Amino acid sequence: MTATDWITAVLLPLGALFALVGTIGLVRLPTLLGRLHAAAKPDTVGLILILIGVAFQLPDISVATPLLLVVLFQFTTIPVLAQTLGRVAYSRGESSSEHMVVDELAEAVRHAKGGDQDGRQDRSPGD
Amino acid sequence: MSAAEARTGRSPYQRLLGRLPTVVWLTVMWALLWGDFSPGTLLAGVGVASLCYAAAKLPHLPVRLGFRPWYALRLGARIGWDLLWSSVQVAFHVLWRPGRVRGAIVAVPMRTDSDLLLAMVSGGLSLVTGSLVIELNREEGVIYVHGIPIDSPRGAQSLRRRIRRTEELIVRAFGTAKDVTGFEAAEEEFAALLRSAEAGTEENGEMQRP
Repeated sequence: MTATDWITAVLLPLGALFALVGTIGLVRLPTLLGRLHAAAKPDTVGLILILIGVAFQLPDISVATPLLLVVLFQFTTIPVLAQTLGRVAYSRGESSSEHMVVDELAEAVRHAKGGDQDGRQDRSPGD
Repeated sequence: MSAAEARTGRSPYQRLLGRLPTVVWLTVMWALLWGDFSPGTLLAGVGVASLCYAAAKLPHLPVRLGFRPWYALRLGARIGWDLLWSSVQVAFHVLWRPGRVRGAIVAVPMRTDSDLLLAMVSGGLSLVTGSLVIELNREEGVIYVHGIPIDSPRGAQSLRRRIRRTEELIVRAFGTAKDVTGFEAAEEEFAALLRSAEAGTEENGEMQRP
């Protein structure tokens, strides 16, 4: 085995391991927001590790540029997905407060709803 | 003077020039996906890109960004490290007592007022495991981030510090000179606020940034 083979042999299982852990987290974590964390991001790391591992097996570096594009699009789409889902989950009350140390968003919402003397209320009446 | 020109105050030439970078980017994508840069492919790419642009009627965004390589490099290293380290952390908590993992939502006032930079900050934060932007209050410039795993107020404080550091690096890497001075002014204001708060309450001094 050459050095590049060794790199691939290490990175591919490592990437697969990250993907596996992410999936286990999807099942085992107690809160929806926590599951979102586990589903979206260790998978990204796993994918990057796998792609780097694959890149070392390619005969030519120019063949590897599509792999770079895969990473790029993963980087730009994952935050959008996570953010949209997170926002919807939170606004539908899918976050349990017993698994939360502090929730400053809930405090801010309470503040905006209850104490409307400080002029914050009139700016966002639809909220 | 055409109607469009009267609306935006820019000549057709300028309008075309503003769209050029996107067309070039799409063409490069096209050539990359085909895997060859021969003139025929490039020509077809330009054609498809222009057609897509015309069909989608994308608006022209006035992109005002700077670029400082040194800070961009540090930003890349930070996001890469955060991504890897927090993935390892989450992986550990997934395997070891996942039922006891707790998170927190912290409110962090942003010190920049640029739409583009704020979008970058929230994208960069959501990319990293262990932080997820839930809500962005644009009017007051406050960002609400969910972090995991956090089991004490001290952990929430360190999440806050991480967010502020990421913000600073993004502003310094991609902000214009005006963005950076605005950021520094807000930072100064914030520090003064913290000092006066500290003078009021002595006991939470260890929470503040040095």
